[in-house]
Parts: sequence; structure tokens; C-alpha cells
Amino acid sequence: MAQYIKQNKLVPVVLVMFLTILLFGSGIFAATAAGPMEQLQKSVDELLRILQSQELKEPDKKSERKQLIDNATNEIFDFREMARSSLGQTWDTLTSEEQDQFVGLFTRLIEQRYKGKLDAYDNQKIIYKKELINGKKALINTAVIDKDLEILIDYRLKENQGKWLVYDLKIENVSLISNYRRDFDSIIRKEQFAGLVEKMSKQLEKSDTAN
Amino acid sequence: MIPHNVTMGKNFILQAVFILFLLFPVSHTQAAGETDLSAGSEPVLSSGKADEGPNGAEDDAGQEEKWEDEWEEADALADPLEPFNRFFFHFNDKLYFWVLKPVARVYSGIFPEEVQIAVRNFFDNLEAPARAINSLLQGNVRGSASEVARFTLNSTVGIIGFGDFAGDVMGLRSSNEDFGQTLAHYGAGGGFYINWPFLGPSNLRDSLGMLGDGYVHPFILLDVDRDVTIGLRTIEVVNSTALTLGDYELFVGTALDPYAAVKDAYQQYRNGLIQK
Repeated sequence: MAQYIKQNKLVPVVLVMFLTILLFGSGIFAATAAGPMEQLQKSVDELLRILQSQELKEPDKKSERKQLIDNATNEIFDFREMARSSLGQTWDTLTSEEQDQFVGLFTRLIEQRYKGKLDAYDNQKIIYKKELINGKKALINTAVIDKDLEILIDYRLKENQGKWLVYDLKIENVSLISNYRRDFDSIIRKEQFAGLVEKMSKQLEKSDTAN
Repeated sequence: MIPHNVTMGKNFILQAVFILFLLFPVSHTQAAGETDLSAGSEPVLSSGKADEGPNGAEDDAGQEEKWEDEWEEADALADPLEPFNRFFFHFNDKLYFWVLKPVARVYSGIFPEEVQIAVRNFFDNLEAPARAINSLLQGNVRGSASEVARFTLNSTVGIIGFGDFAGDVMGLRSSNEDFGQTLAHYGAGGGFYINWPFLGPSNLRDSLGMLGDGYVHPFILLDVDRDVTIGLRTIEVVNSTALTLGDYELFVGTALDPYAAVKDAYQQYRNGLIQK
């Protein structure tokens, strides 16, 4: 500020400030839909609220809780897109029933991984650092401060009718989709798609009984 | 019993890698020297080498600008040792569930989280000399100076490293460099995947890196007694396990081929650190 005054540039600065207030005040910006970062933050906060609600943890609220969690995660992730890209070329060889079946299994797997992490959430600080938007795509950099360490999480989002949904995320530079692609590929190479479906069902069963 | 085995494993690796380490840089420097002498007649190698630095920088800048590009998948790391690696993956997995986890749980019940964080800081601080050297080797003078400052401050004001005074008060962040990254900086590829017993996922380059960094670790520099080193290393492992209880279970529990998933995660994680 002091520099601006020295350089006699105070006038344009004041002008810009004035115009900004005017624009905000007249509601020009108020009409635009929430940006991707704002949407993501809202959806994640909502999911955390559900997961932490003591009331919903009562035994009789089990199915309600599950439904709420499903709804909340659907507000964050584009599961179909994630399932498609994690399968790679195999996806195109599937019938639409097989695709639907796979999306269902994949969704539960992701929910488990993501939820497992969020269940352990204990008021760690989440910082929404930066959003980059270009047309219908966005990249959001966030960080979680856990036990004095900063864990970097980057989200990739796509917009569809004003709604921004995550289609990949990187935790400490490890992309979830790339990781699952390698993982699935390792099974498909030996046991084909049928083997993959069987393994996924078994894995989910195992962790369902464990919970 | 376990700590003994840990060092056995480590010593074996250190020796094996040491041999490679001796062979590798010597032949490399000789080759470089030869091409320098005959620079006029053999431009291929030297021009390639000269291009490496600026090219790398350009690539990084390009990545920064074109964030819209989808995240690229690197080629899968070669895995000629897969049967052995899988065997030791299984071995480490059992070691985790049968030994490390139960011990870490007891430890976690005794020491509160603040203590665990302080202990982690202490061991982390001991790696600052290696980080300082590697930052410097990669041409990052500021990063190196920052590591020196961190080490000095945290070893004194931070009570021999238990506190992170430099980070909390001075805002000096750790650079997280190691010798494996330095080798990558000068063009070394990962080589092939190695899943060491006890030490876990690595590759040829990063195993050399571990050895290199080992030489500037205060335990070695101060010639700390072998048994004491083993004891301290055990505490380090148990402490870091206590701080991350549940993470490993969740990851392998939601993977279909946990070996493949861990291998890929290691590769992606390392590539991320190298590109930074």
C-alpha cells in the first residue's frame, strides 16, 4: 500500500476497490453458482457431519445413516466416471449390465476406503488451498493437517449442469484411479473381468462382516 | 529377536547395495571423463547430458501451466524379482499384523500422541543432515540452508529435535529430499522394484539412496554403539507405526491385489517427490 501511495497510484486502487464493492453490492456476482471449491467444501463438510453425528450412530438409525452417507458421497464423486477410467480399455468390452454391476462394486470399494479414512476424522484441519478452473474442468489443492503433518490432497473435478463432481484425487501424489487401474489390471491379466468381479465381491463381503 | 533381524536385514542390504554403489559411480565418472576429453568427436552423450538440466526444468514449468492435462500414468516399474518381492511382501504383511501392530498398540496405549509426535520429530531431525546435503546436490541452495537452520534450531532450541521449533515458530519447512531423489535428479531411473524384507517397498535407485543417506546419519557419524542403534531404530519403527495405525489395513483391505497396489503407490509417491 505504501508503495502505491509513493508511486502516486492511489487513485486507481481506490477506484478498483470502489467498483468491486459496487459490483458485489449490486448482486452481479451473487447470481453465479458456487465454484467447484465451494461445492466440494460444502459436500465434504456435510459428509463429515453425518459420519460424526452421534445420533445417527444409534443401532436403529443404521439404514438411515447408510442412506445419508450414500447421498453425501454421490454429491462428491462421479462414481461411474471413476469406475470407467479405473478399468481402462476393459470397460468398452463390457455389456451395459456388466458396467452397471461394476460401478456398484467399485462405488462400495471407494466408499470404504474414503469412509474408513473419514471415520477416523477427529477435527483435523482441512485447508482448501487453491482452485484452478478451465471450462468444465477444475483442479483443487487441499491439505489435511494430521498429527502435525501436512498431507496433500488434490482433487480433479468435472462440471455437469452446474454441479462439480470429483473424478480422481491424489493423496501425497498417489492418484486413486491410477492406483486402482494397476490393481485391477493385475487381476484382469490373470483372471479376466469375471475374476475381478468375484474378487471385489469377496473383498466387500469380508469387510462388511468385519464392520 | 525382531530388532536383531531388522539389522541383519539392513546389514545385508547395505552390503549388497554398497557393492553396486562402488561399481556404479566409478564406471559412470570414467565414462563422463572420456566423453569430455573427446567432446569434439563424440557429441552425442555430452549434448544429451547438457540438455538434461534445462529440459527437466522446462518440463516442470510446462506441467505447472497445463494443469488441465490429465494426470499421466508412468510406465509400470520393471519387476524381474516379482516372485521374491511377493514373498517378502507377504512376509512383511504378516510381520505387521503379528508383531508390529500389537506392539505399536501397546506403545500407543502408554504414550500419548503428543509424545509420539515428539519422538517422530526427534528421528526426523536426525535425517536433516542428509536432506541438507541432497538439497545442495540438487542445486537447491535455499532448501539446503533451510535444512541446516532447521537442524541447528531444532537440535538446540527444539530440545535435541523433540520439538519442531523451526517449523512451528520460524515457518521453516522440511524439504524432504533424499539421495534417491538426487540420483533421479541426475537422470537415474528407478531400475526395478525391490520389496525388501523389513524395509518394505523400494527400487534399485532408492536402495542406493538409502545407503548413501545412511552414511551421513548421526548414528553413523557419532559412531553410536550397535546395540543402542538397534534399540533406537526399533523405537523409531514402533513409534511411526503407532502414529499411522489403521492406514495400512485400510489400504490393503480395499485393494484387490495389495502387492500391485502397494508397488504402484510407491512408484507414484516417489515420482511425486522427484518432480517437486
